[in-house]
Amino acid sequence: MDKTDPQGAAPASDLATGAAHSFLGISYGWPLALAILGLVVLMWMARAPVRRVLSQVFLITGRMFGRWGLWLFEHGKAARLNTAEKIASQRADELAERMIVLEDRIGRRADKLPQEVGSLATKLSTSAHSLETSANALATINLNEAAEKAVRSALPRVEEGRGVSKVNRAIAATRQAMADQIKLIRPELGIVRTEAPRLRASVDKLASVESRFTTAIDTVNKTFADYEECLHSEDRIKVASKASILIPWLIALVITAIALSGVFLNFFLIERPMAEIVGEGAKIAGVGLPTFAALIVIFLEFVAGVVLMDAAGFTKLIPSFHSMSDSSRRIMFWVAFVFLLSFSALEAALAFLRENIIETNQETVQLANGFIAPPDATTGAGGAAADSGILKGQKLATFAQLILAVLIPWMLATAALPLETIIRNSVFIVQIAASYLMLAGAFICKTINVALKSLGVFVLAIYDLIIFAPLWIERRVKGGGFTPPPKSSVGGSSDTSGSKRDTQVAKDGKDGKDGKDGKDNKDKSGGAKGRDQERELQQA
Amino acid sequence: MTRAIAAGLAGLVSCILAISLSACGLVTSTSRSVFVLFDASGTYVKAIPDATRWASLLVARLQPGDFIAVSQISSCSFSDKEVVLQERLPETPSRSAEAQRAVFTKLRDFAGSVKSTKYTDIHGALAQAAFELRQRPEKARYIVVFSDMMEDLAPRCDTSKVTLDLSGITVVASNVIKTNSANPDKYFALLKTWEATVTAAGGKWMLATSPDQLPDMVTK
Repeated sequence: MDKTDPQGAAPASDLATGAAHSFLGISYGWPLALAILGLVVLMWMARAPVRRVLSQVFLITGRMFGRWGLWLFEHGKAARLNTAEKIASQRADELAERMIVLEDRIGRRADKLPQEVGSLATKLSTSAHSLETSANALATINLNEAAEKAVRSALPRVEEGRGVSKVNRAIAATRQAMADQIKLIRPELGIVRTEAPRLRASVDKLASVESRFTTAIDTVNKTFADYEECLHSEDRIKVASKASILIPWLIALVITAIALSGVFLNFFLIERPMAEIVGEGAKIAGVGLPTFAALIVIFLEFVAGVVLMDAAGFTKLIPSFHSMSDSSRRIMFWVAFVFLLSFSALEAALAFLRENIIETNQETVQLANGFIAPPDATTGAGGAAADSGILKGQKLATFAQLILAVLIPWMLATAALPLETIIRNSVFIVQIAASYLMLAGAFICKTINVALKSLGVFVLAIYDLIIFAPLWIERRVKGGGFTPPPKSSVGGSSDTSGSKRDTQVAKDGKDGKDGKDGKDNKDKSGGAKGRDQERELQQA
Repeated sequence: MTRAIAAGLAGLVSCILAISLSACGLVTSTSRSVFVLFDASGTYVKAIPDATRWASLLVARLQPGDFIAVSQISSCSFSDKEVVLQERLPETPSRSAEAQRAVFTKLRDFAGSVKSTKYTDIHGALAQAAFELRQRPEKARYIVVFSDMMEDLAPRCDTSKVTLDLSGITVVASNVIKTNSANPDKYFALLKTWEATVTAAGGKWMLATSPDQLPDMVTK
């Protein structure tokens, strides 16, 4: 039989499952409706402090992010400018150095100029003199006159004889006279033919000297113009962007990576024989003593290489070298050179030792296995084996190791060359990346600021929507009509919920003025700052 | 004079550095000490040449600076008379190789001259080896036992009640020959018993069944 509740509204089975039809332990129906009503009334009563708390939470957090954003933006921008300034000054230094080098080169060429041009001038003068002499000689030759003289001298004989043979003789005499004159012309023409190309070559050489000087001067001028731009241009970022940072850095990284592979090779070559020098049986910070010693040797080689390159003037990694005199730097150069030479010899010895150790170990293991007889019994066999191809191969391998060991310290020294670029450009790259990160952080913070303010507005609108009914009743009871909020507080908010909240703000203001609502007055006296924040929130 | 001062300063700095590194625990020893026991009883004496070959392979794999000692398991093994050799390998590889070869020779001589004993006092031998190893500064300690692990104590040398302290020591039973092919269970039970004895004494038990296993177990 189905039992019913006293009111007969629901069957008993429904009541038994009543717990399932509830919200937070409050049964559906009137209890829940009353609870909601009570909650709405409670929210209406607490509207002012809750609104203030909400606005403070969202507004202050948003403002905090806004300030962070501003700080990050300013510092990011400043860092970018600072980096650009450093890059520009670095570029200016490079250009200044380049100008010095170019100037030095032009100076050296200018020193050689008198020698070069002097010989050219001598050649030109000689050629000109020869040509002048030839021209004079040619000018004195008069073919017409010579022919006329010959004919005139032959004429009396022709007139006396009236014979053909006499005429012929006169013609022959004329030809002879002409031939004599042409004999004089030929050597002069030969001189002209010889001197003309010489003259042209000398002129070409002079032109090339002039061209080289012009090019060098143009380069200096261009470099100087760039240098001037680096020093005086207002747009520092533009100046900095002209200096390539990334590509030299990448190239230097590749070269260093190759050098590092050489370091590893070197390490494996010297690690084992280092045990003969420092012994085994201990570890330093978990690293075997021979390994540790091998690493130290490699580091020392690298340091010697850096000093060598700096002393030679190829790099500028060590600041104290700049202020050193030339003689001191030369001393440092030779010291580093001797060190590297010693390291080279040490590595060669270690490479030789390495082979010996490997052979000894092999023999020891074979002895342990009982494969070969003890050493004193195998003297003859050892002598025979010395001629074997295997032994020759081993000797060649040892020789190859020796060469490698001698070369690697010097190769390590050259790794100092790209190191300067890596260190300098890495600093710039990190600074640029940091500045962009700060700018990105600024953007994120500002976005969060706007989002939080908007969220605050939205939450307040929802709150007002929930307590809409009591607010409406309150307005009706107090008899006040709708008071439009001041324009500044509306702040362009056009949605319905926003208008409701604005209405409530205006209402609160009115209550405060009238002094009727003591609670609101208290709220107002609680802080004009809170209202300012709320207004700011509305504007947002 | 200046050079002497510079050398003195360098030495002082090196000493300070070494002391400070040691004090910080940055410098640690990698050396190990190995005590090899050969069973000279009648049931095992024939296997000793083979066992010395195993031991030679082990010695060949030891690192410079390691300690090696050899003793025999006899009727009453807890005695210094049973120790065949005790040697610390030099710290440089070439000298270490020379010393290793000398050890091979001694082992070969031992294998040629060993005389069979009537009883087998494994407990006493382990106690002797453990005592010797505890005197050593090396942190890694090993006892390598070449035996059939069949203990047969003499009435006048009953060491079965001896308290063994094998803490921090690894006992490696190697080349444990099978004396009774018809009863494998007895063999396994024997190994289990010794494992229990060693672990009860605070040691670590290992079993090497082939010559290539033994050096790996000790040197790794």
